Amino acid sequence: MTKQFVFKGASQMPMISVSLGHMDWNKTGAWRAQRPFYEDKTSPCSAACPVGNDIVGFIQKITEEDFEGAWNLIREENPFPGVCGRVCFHPCESKCNRREYDEPIAIHALERFVSDFASNLNKKIRKGPGARKNKIAVIGSGPAGMSCAYHLAKLDYDVTVFESSSLAGGMLRTGIPSYRLPKDVLDREISNIAELGVEIRTGIPFGEGLNLDGLKNYQAIFIATGAHRGRDLHVPGGKGRGVFSGLDLLKKINLGRKVTLGDKIAIVGGGNTAIDVARSVVRLGKKATILYRRSKEEMPAFGEEMVEALEEGVKIRYLVNPIRIQQKDSLHRLECLRMELGEKDESGRRKPVPIPGSNFFFEADNVIIAAGEEVELFFLPKGLEKREGIVLTQRDGNTGARGIFAGGDLTSNQRTVAHAIGSGKKVALAIDCYLNGKDSEEALRQILTGEGPSISMFRYLHPQERLMNPHVVTFDELNTDYFEPSRRQRETKDLIKKRIKGFREITSGFTEGIAMEEAERCFSCGTCVGCENCYVFCPDASIIKIGEVLSHQVDYDFCKGCGICFSECPRGVISLKEEAR
Amino acid sequence: MKKVITGNQAVAYGVILSRVDVISAYPITPQTTIVEELSELTASGRMKTVFLKVESEHSAMAALIGASTGGVRCFTATSSHGLAYMHEMLHWASGARLPIVLVNVNRAIAPPWNIWSDQSDSLSQRDTGWVQLYCEHNQEVLDTVLQAYRIAESVKLPVMVVLDAYVLSHTSEPVEIPTAEEVDAFLPPYCPEYTIDTQEPMAFSTIATPDHFLEFRYKIQKAMEQVPEIAKKVNDEFRSRFNRGYGAIERYGKEEADILLMTSGTVTGTSRIVVEKLNRKGYDVCGLKIKRFRPFPVEEICKEIKGAKKVAIIDRNLSAGVGGIFAQELRASLYSREKRPQIFGFVSGLGGRDITPELIEEAIQYTVDHPQPEEEILWLGLKK
Amino acid sequence: MKKMEIPLSENLGHGHLACAGCGAAVSMRLTLKALGEKTVMIFPASCWSIIPGFWPYSSIRIPVVHAGFVTGGATASGVRAALDIRGDHETVVAVWAGDGATFDIGLQALSGAAERNEDFIYICNDNEGYMNTGTQRSSATPLFAWTTTTPVTKPKENPKKDIMAIMADHQIPYAATATIAYPEDLLRKVEKARSIRGTRFIHLLSPCSPGWRIPSEITIKVSRLAVRSRVFPLYEIENGISYTIREEPHVVPVKEYLRLQGRFSHLTDLEIEVIQENVERTWERLTRKASLKLK
Repeated sequence: MTKQFVFKGASQMPMISVSLGHMDWNKTGAWRAQRPFYEDKTSPCSAACPVGNDIVGFIQKITEEDFEGAWNLIREENPFPGVCGRVCFHPCESKCNRREYDEPIAIHALERFVSDFASNLNKKIRKGPGARKNKIAVIGSGPAGMSCAYHLAKLDYDVTVFESSSLAGGMLRTGIPSYRLPKDVLDREISNIAELGVEIRTGIPFGEGLNLDGLKNYQAIFIATGAHRGRDLHVPGGKGRGVFSGLDLLKKINLGRKVTLGDKIAIVGGGNTAIDVARSVVRLGKKATILYRRSKEEMPAFGEEMVEALEEGVKIRYLVNPIRIQQKDSLHRLECLRMELGEKDESGRRKPVPIPGSNFFFEADNVIIAAGEEVELFFLPKGLEKREGIVLTQRDGNTGARGIFAGGDLTSNQRTVAHAIGSGKKVALAIDCYLNGKDSEEALRQILTGEGPSISMFRYLHPQERLMNPHVVTFDELNTDYFEPSRRQRETKDLIKKRIKGFREITSGFTEGIAMEEAERCFSCGTCVGCENCYVFCPDASIIKIGEVLSHQVDYDFCKGCGICFSECPRGVISLKEEAR
Repeated sequence: MKKVITGNQAVAYGVILSRVDVISAYPITPQTTIVEELSELTASGRMKTVFLKVESEHSAMAALIGASTGGVRCFTATSSHGLAYMHEMLHWASGARLPIVLVNVNRAIAPPWNIWSDQSDSLSQRDTGWVQLYCEHNQEVLDTVLQAYRIAESVKLPVMVVLDAYVLSHTSEPVEIPTAEEVDAFLPPYCPEYTIDTQEPMAFSTIATPDHFLEFRYKIQKAMEQVPEIAKKVNDEFRSRFNRGYGAIERYGKEEADILLMTSGTVTGTSRIVVEKLNRKGYDVCGLKIKRFRPFPVEEICKEIKGAKKVAIIDRNLSAGVGGIFAQELRASLYSREKRPQIFGFVSGLGGRDITPELIEEAIQYTVDHPQPEEEILWLGLKK
Repeated sequence: MKKMEIPLSENLGHGHLACAGCGAAVSMRLTLKALGEKTVMIFPASCWSIIPGFWPYSSIRIPVVHAGFVTGGATASGVRAALDIRGDHETVVAVWAGDGATFDIGLQALSGAAERNEDFIYICNDNEGYMNTGTQRSSATPLFAWTTTTPVTKPKENPKKDIMAIMADHQIPYAATATIAYPEDLLRKVEKARSIRGTRFIHLLSPCSPGWRIPSEITIKVSRLAVRSRVFPLYEIENGISYTIREEPHVVPVKEYLRLQGRFSHLTDLEIEVIQENVERTWERLTRKASLKLK
């Protein structure tokens, strides 16, 4: 640094006013009224992800062509990228800021791409150290149970999973047709979990061969038995021969058991199960018609799957409600009422109201009821509080019974794969806290992604790394001048003719090139990707680089607080705060 | 080698012999033939000199300020309006302590338009921090250019060499032209104290606060105060090498007299004849040529005044509201002396009117006849 | 979005006196990166007589010659001549002059030098007014803009002088416009200018936070909108005839540019329309020139 010169008089001065030193003694930071600082923030996609995936993180790895890095990052939070990349309803994409610019990032497809890439790696996740701490029992091998088992295993617990069915996977295996989720993908991800040392014992139904007494050796128990019972329609003839529960039918089909059906199938319901059933029976060569009591707008099934179902020849009749099922020989006559939409109900949807005298008949060989699923409660231990069909727990899955936790579909009406995975992860953390005498509520609060409810296991394990402000970056906080409009990449689908011939997966994942192109579209909301706008545009050269790398430090000796770095950051990474005076 | 050349050609020879690196000039009557001559002399490419034929006098001086900051020897020539247009840059050159040499061919300033000799142009630049040297004849012109570089580069101040329009600029006289070797021995290459260097980057003419500005100006004054001694040394050396020389002032005629006739430029040449004639007639008068106007040769003049009771001074210039500028400077110089002669300040020959022997005689006669001047400004040859 | 490739060298040092968010400081920093250390810079009077710092300091780490307001073209000619005499043909001479020193008071010296095709890069750091003296109008001030000498009751009545056309008609080897929101474009143009001999002219738009009455953090944004609204198109002219225009894919109405700036806050819709028409006419004139090909 230049020293400051002091001249006592002309004799000490040079002849002319040539500069003798630099201005770096002049700490212009003193001018500053506001202080910029780097602070990664939460992306709306991650905040919306029930699993708690670091979405921006893994997408950035893809842009760097580090697909393995992307896989490792996903696996910090989620043992089921192959599953989620295919069947998750991707709320992340609904919240993607890019949606307001052109089209959201195809996050699900990128996740699937990473898992497909990893499947070729033949690389297993490292097993934990040999000495296991405590024994944990997990009841149910669905997404909640397996997610919990996975994280507990990574936390060095000795985990045993008990599954009533002959194959692990729960609803992932029995509820989701393989044209959406191929069995090998599921098998691979379950076996990856088993590789961590998780013991999976199948064919052991809880409440029958197994009860709490038999689990006394376990220091904690996680019950995640799901909601596998189809809800009754409660109409006359609703339990007659040839009338099936949608979930039961799917289970049979998915487990490869023989199914006997007529040609013309009526499916009652409007959820994903109804669609899955319809599309599955189409693949068995049948004609499927869905009867739904509200209109298309109210239908809870995911839009894209409805589109695919219609493409595959499924018929949907809206505003129709069966009130009676009559059987005549092998044929069923459904007496239906036409409906109209009335006031909004508690779900926010307009309530269907019957139109008096609008009765008509619909004929089908079989009727499949897909009017929702319910929790089987009879085998649950006593003392668990239940309300409105689910088990009540604290936020961390604690049932109130000592060492007994519950999660997944059993404890929630948000019955998605992602919620189940997230729930299992949360319970894993809660069990760790419970066994180590820590306050799990506080621990959860520390690692929320955004405002929650999803959490980051990475931050639980590494509290001082990848620090992130929970603030969720909004579209207005981005500087979109740095992005060019571009079309969202789409996965290719098989031709319809080919699709309906069997249960082969209908979509093909991204190639590496397409995946990188799509990843490039990511705004990376709240996470610095080193674009260096802050460095380039600083009028005071006060963004410090170490060598060629951005240090994410501001030189406060000289920063005048103009705020250019703040406003030119494309992704809202830099914050400003007023200087204390 | 002796050649019969005009004053403007003498300038050009002086410039070439001084091995000037950068010339930058804009034509103006009566300076033009300097520019033309230099263009001819530098056109062959035998010399390394760069001649920037700029679009104005302001740019001419600005370009030299750039070049001189770059550490090379620079020259320009101008007249009248051209010099006035340069005014801002004249300050800059001295403030930046750049040893630029400028030849000004004295010419009146319009309106009315007038292209003839008049010192008002150069004298109105007296406060710009330039050394000013006035010439009497063409030999002196050439020699003064050579001396100007020695002085300028010693004290780090720009020097203006001044000659009368036409009477010198366009009048041929025999001039002894020294050889390049002789001049090289007298005038070594320019070694700047500070210059542009990308290895040692500096900012030149950086803004200075009131904390320092006064001291920088003080240094310029101190440099000006060195000029008399340095100019004397330079002239002594010149005399020893070339057998001729020119002091800041030069007394001629009698050793001592009651009346001292003071002149500058070519009027001195005429005055020499008049003084000689009047001495023969018995007038107690001697002549004093003033070559250096800035810094004004106060000490030298005081020494030469000796017992003179009256000084007649002829100014071919006018500071309206005051009078002749040389007269003013003289009055100021003598104020602190115990015995002060009467100053008879004549103004004459503006706009190129001839200052004839008769007019000079008239001035001396008036001085003889009056114990003190009747007016502050004594107009010589004015048609009332 | 890829990282910009910007040289690491910093020759605008810390501690300089530019206002917070000064567009010209960004311009200077980037330009110095592109010019490199073998450069002498001439500063005719402007904010840059002050910004580098008071004697005995300077925050600019290459040789600088402060010069008279009028003298950019002339002083540079002289410095170039001196360097040539010294046999240094490598060091680049660059002038850094404001719009006043370029469009107005120094136009003669610049024109003279350009006609002589003097070997230097002349960078006009255009902030559209006499900002160092407190925001008075210059001939670079845009139509209807407020300045302290064009009050809102009688804002500037004439459009900005087309300095690029003037320079192009000198048939100098290279002239280009650039602005800070497009750093790579700016650097490329300065580097290109550096590789050419003769008079090179770069018209650099540098938004001025106090003079344009904009918050300090939007200097870059305003620069970008100047280009997107076609108020300040980015283009190059080689030898006075060959035009290359950077096609801006995001054209926005001029209103988007104007509404951010306090100096235009008094504009009526009608006046904005007039400006819009002006911009379109100028753009058309430019593109017509660009499409002219000699047969």
